[in-house]
Amino acid sequence: MAISADSPEESRELIRKAGLTYPLLSDGKAEAIRRYDLLAPKAGIDGRDIAGTAEFLVDASGTVRWRNLSEAGPAEFMEAAKAVQ
Amino acid sequence: MTKRLWNWRLWVGFGVSFLALLIYFLLLQKTRSIFWGSLVLFVLSAALLVSGLKRAYAQPQSYRGKIAGPVLTVLGALFLGFFGWGVSLAAKYFPAARNAPKVGQKAPEFITVDSHGNSVALAQLLSTSMPNSSGGARTPKGVLLVFYRGYW
Repeated sequence: MAISADSPEESRELIRKAGLTYPLLSDGKAEAIRRYDLLAPKAGIDGRDIAGTAEFLVDASGTVRWRNLSEAGPAEFMEAAKAVQ
Repeated sequence: MTKRLWNWRLWVGFGVSFLALLIYFLLLQKTRSIFWGSLVLFVLSAALLVSGLKRAYAQPQSYRGKIAGPVLTVLGALFLGFFGWGVSLAAKYFPAARNAPKVGQKAPEFITVDSHGNSVALAQLLSTSMPNSSGGARTPKGVLLVFYRGYW
């Protein structure tokens, strides 16, 4: 699941353009983004509040099993993903 | 008159300030901690430049650098300015995320909308079975949440 402050329309456009196969979630008021402390205030186009990039791997119980605040690469993610399986 | 010595502190100080700026921009993508490495180098560079300048002006008969000194110091300060600019940009675009959920903590619940306008909650993502590649369906073992900048 990929989350941004984009509107559903912008997400649809991105899915179409990039041929994405996974869902994009819109967090227009940046509520989820704020809850994960990832808000980049006024860093977007027209001074919009947007998300800083980060990834969280959440297991079925809702616990964070791995996270990346832009310091880790895909290899580390794959390792964590294997542990969840 | 004795031969005036090469004022190496000025040149080394200048070199160190360049290095500090270079590693900051090259390594920022890899680790944010590089800020501290660059900061230490800038402090070192400033100390070298200041002591080099002092030598050049206090003992002009022994040390060179009355012209090179100010030039190198201004360039060093310019690099420091670029560094400060880079740091402020990084702070804007890469939030520190100090209170982001840590490994082992509960992922905060949220409700968003998908690209068709349907509301989607985290709890729902974790419990709803999804069609898999072999045509069946199964409850997910987990969810990868990718926060991205979006259109900007």
